Amino acid sequence: MISIFGDRADARAAIVTITILAIFPLFVVGERTTYQESLFKTFLAFAILAMAINIVFAHTDQLFLFVGALTGISTYITVLLADTLGVTPWITIPVGMAAVASLALVVSYVAARLGMTIIVIAILTLSLQLASQEFFEGARSITGGTTGFAFTGLEVPIIESLLGLPDGFGNYYVLLGILAASFVLYSRMMRSKYGLAFDAIRQDEVAAESVGINVIRYKMIAAFAGAALIGLVGPLYASSEGWVQPSLFTFERIDVLILIMLVLGGLRTMLGPVVGAGAIILINQDLQSTFGQWRTAAYGLLLIFLFLYFREGIVGKLEEVRETETYGNMRDRLSRG
Amino acid sequence: MAVSTAIELLFDSVARGLLFALLGAAITLVFGLGNILNIAIGVFAVVAVIATLEFMAVLPNAAVASVAGLAFVGVLGLAVDRTLLEVVYREEGEERILLGIFVTIGLLLFIEGILFAEFQLSYSVPHSVPTVTFGEVTILGSRLAQIGIATVVLIGLFVFLRMTYLGKATRTVFQDETGAALCGINIRWVRSLIFVVSVMLAGLAGILQSFEAAVSAANAFELTAFAIIVSIVGGVRNIRGTIAAGLLLGFVITLGNFFIGAFISKIILFGAAVVVLILRPEEIA
Repeated sequence: MISIFGDRADARAAIVTITILAIFPLFVVGERTTYQESLFKTFLAFAILAMAINIVFAHTDQLFLFVGALTGISTYITVLLADTLGVTPWITIPVGMAAVASLALVVSYVAARLGMTIIVIAILTLSLQLASQEFFEGARSITGGTTGFAFTGLEVPIIESLLGLPDGFGNYYVLLGILAASFVLYSRMMRSKYGLAFDAIRQDEVAAESVGINVIRYKMIAAFAGAALIGLVGPLYASSEGWVQPSLFTFERIDVLILIMLVLGGLRTMLGPVVGAGAIILINQDLQSTFGQWRTAAYGLLLIFLFLYFREGIVGKLEEVRETETYGNMRDRLSRG
Repeated sequence: MAVSTAIELLFDSVARGLLFALLGAAITLVFGLGNILNIAIGVFAVVAVIATLEFMAVLPNAAVASVAGLAFVGVLGLAVDRTLLEVVYREEGEERILLGIFVTIGLLLFIEGILFAEFQLSYSVPHSVPTVTFGEVTILGSRLAQIGIATVVLIGLFVFLRMTYLGKATRTVFQDETGAALCGINIRWVRSLIFVVSVMLAGLAGILQSFEAAVSAANAFELTAFAIIVSIVGGVRNIRGTIAAGLLLGFVITLGNFFIGAFISKIILFGAAVVVLILRPEEIA
């Protein structure tokens, strides 16, 4: 089990986290708490999306601001194809993933080939996001316009009856499985030559290219990995909401949130996305009861504060603390015989 | 198509184009000068409208209230510049651009959030320009007001940049920061001034827009999107280009709306930005 991860510390952290996340809901979820069930599923969906943007943005400086659009495209393709062909959406998810991954590859390639800086990529993808939002709302015959349509095709009744879970909660464990897979992917990727290449690219692309790193290729690999995760999670996210409508895939709803989650949790860390997602969901619940309407304003302040003063995020801060402890130990150990 | 419709479309396009030009100029000024992409620009437009309406309760007429509203937005901009941007300016190059983007996204959310909580309605500033009719052509008063005021302000902006000392100082900082500093120009001060000017331009665009259609906090992000797109198509450090782009895109979106439909014409607009970025990415480097 441990050998599939990139390193032992990662493996330990991941296993502990997954175990906690697997057991915890069983205490909280009862027979009639559908709101909380949905919250748990949303939490995992966003955690995985944040992990995707972690790989793409935090590691290779490709500020993709069209995660909402990618999520939507994957969802619509998966659902509509399943409808047309009369099959279960589980079969068409790979098609959605492929479509979105291809789109991300093209964008990544064009951007890298033309030497686009991070801000150009940001504005480019933001334009794509906005265009997609208009398309989702406008193409009423395909998407059902702003109303949308119901969708619950991705249930797993087998798991639910096996574990005695309430209806619809099986998807939580499917998402948890995907999260675990993303931990493995992340750990292996970042503790290998890929991680080193990403670091080099982030520091100085020209220098990286000059030592033989194919910058375009590595950026595309990162974009592909991230987009594959996004494409996979999209339909599950929509399924957990029960309804597919354009407002699920907007910039404000997805991109802004996952960026906040990622920065709060810790850029370039394995557990950062999931910690950030959990923190934001909790804050969301808290704010709803105390501040209600002031939620958006609070998020704005949080983002400003995070980016100005707390860029390493929660996990980053914890790792910093742990490292100073370790160095302290080292000095002691060196001074002894 | 009847000539009268063509003329009405012309006026509509020019009005829209001038509003876009104001918004685009707001982005270009600040980005060209300090490398900060002000994603919160749209929200200043909305705040201006709301502030104006609040002032109208105590001031005699809409025009004076508008000036007061713009002044309020200017002060808000100064406050933002002196607090948030102060920290952003300490970074350099790409770090600053990135930090600027995220901080202004946060600012957008923050102000938008306050508006959502306290000022949820849609707002319109009243104007008293009458609708003009000659023959079969009907030109709405709001259009005339928009065209008139925007043109005057944009000409004023040009005069400022070309003829006044401050304007020339601004252009110098645009071209070469170090050179400007060596000439004794206080760069930080110029940046603050231009930031205030830019938010007031956006505020004016908001007020003018509200003549024809009520403005609410929900519009803020879309206004920002339009502003950025106009700025990109026009050349993100080039004021004249931005204004020309504003007019061009005003035509694109008005004619697109009329002939094709609202959704597609917006998609065309965003598509134009994508095309320009692919063709000229080094612009924003």
